[in-house]
Amino acid sequence: MNNPHHLNPTSLKSRFTTRFLRALTKIRAQKPISSSSPTEIFRRYRRIKAAADKSMAYSVRSRRIWSRAMLWKLRSRSYRRQDPCSGRRSGKTNQAIMKKSSNENTTTRREDGVGFVEEADELRQLVPGGETMNLCNLLDETAHYIKCLTTQVQVMKKIADFYSF
Amino acid sequence: MADFSEQSYRQPFPFLDIDPTMESLTQFAELNPQSFILDNSAFNFQTFFPLSINDSLFSNQASQGETMSGFIHNSNQSSVSAQPIFSAKTEVEEISNKRKALDILESSSGNSSSSSPQVSETGIKRRNNSGRGKRAKSNEKEMEKPKEVVHVRARRGQATDSHSLAERVRRGKINERLRCLQDIVPGCYKTMGMALMLDEIINYVQSLQNQVEFLSMKLTAASTYYDFNSESDAMERMQRGKAEEAKELERLMREGYVGIGGVACFHSSSTYGPL
Repeated sequence: MNNPHHLNPTSLKSRFTTRFLRALTKIRAQKPISSSSPTEIFRRYRRIKAAADKSMAYSVRSRRIWSRAMLWKLRSRSYRRQDPCSGRRSGKTNQAIMKKSSNENTTTRREDGVGFVEEADELRQLVPGGETMNLCNLLDETAHYIKCLTTQVQVMKKIADFYSF
Repeated sequence: MADFSEQSYRQPFPFLDIDPTMESLTQFAELNPQSFILDNSAFNFQTFFPLSINDSLFSNQASQGETMSGFIHNSNQSSVSAQPIFSAKTEVEEISNKRKALDILESSSGNSSSSSPQVSETGIKRRNNSGRGKRAKSNEKEMEKPKEVVHVRARRGQATDSHSLAERVRRGKINERLRCLQDIVPGCYKTMGMALMLDEIINYVQSLQNQVEFLSMKLTAASTYYDFNSESDAMERMQRGKAEEAKELERLMREGYVGIGGVACFHSSSTYGPL
């Protein structure tokens, strides 16, 4: 951050910050924790983490493969939690669609001829939606994903400081 | 990032190192303005030299001036009336470049009317397909048909069928992206191999994801702490105060006036410095 006093209101950082703060206040307003049971706390942790990921993915919209994959994953997870039957159905059809598209674009298991297969597979597991990308797109998406992750970490660090004085 | 590399491959005449030869070409154009017209935007390379002259031109590694005068002399002697615009490699040190320019000249010689750059491209492709590119072999004339060409320069001695050309293009793209990643990811040295760099990238992504998890846990703890200690008045006041400040901060960010709020609330960030 070269100039911490001026923030571009349309930058990724500000978009993510506003969305995340809004989600945080919503979570805190939703249910004040009555008991300190670990499950409750864990549930809230999951909700906060999902809010962080969702805010980041929404700030990137659908411009990137990884953001689309992450949004789809989060949405399918929430649907599945709400209504198990419909979630299963939609999950299956969506997965079929995903598999078909992946087979059309690339073969998931292919020898790129460059020799980085193991590392590339590991990277594919880390980056959301990486299984359907060839190595070229994977590296591109990784660069953007790293940039967004660093933004996310920066903002969350500041918020955590702010909360815990 | 990707578009630029593709465009660089689609330049009409990759066989010419355009930049170093442009000055010499323009200088030469100034010397002989009446006989040569250089169109910078669309290079129309039409040469009308018979084959023998090419040998004489390139066999002796004469200085630039001599080859140029040789060109002019021969072009004036040529019987074609159209404007002769020459395609010449003025720097004749590199053998491979010389060979390629020779190939271009030969492939486009005899093709007086059409000025399609595709023709010279097919010339390159044909020449490269011949593999060695000895001058004896390259004396064949070939039918020029416009077809899909890959604008990639093939180095001497490398396999040049379409598959390996595509492979080379892909590898170039991958290397370029790896280099970009190298700048982003700290701890990547240029001397490291590609596999090591990928390992570093994987470690970095994992560490960032762990940081996000840890920070969200910290936020959870902070929020539950505040919820938990809402009995005491002081805590409640502080909690309300903080919540209001958070809301106001959010409002400020939305309106874009983060300067004021940012300075006030993010003062603690100075301890972290640049991430």
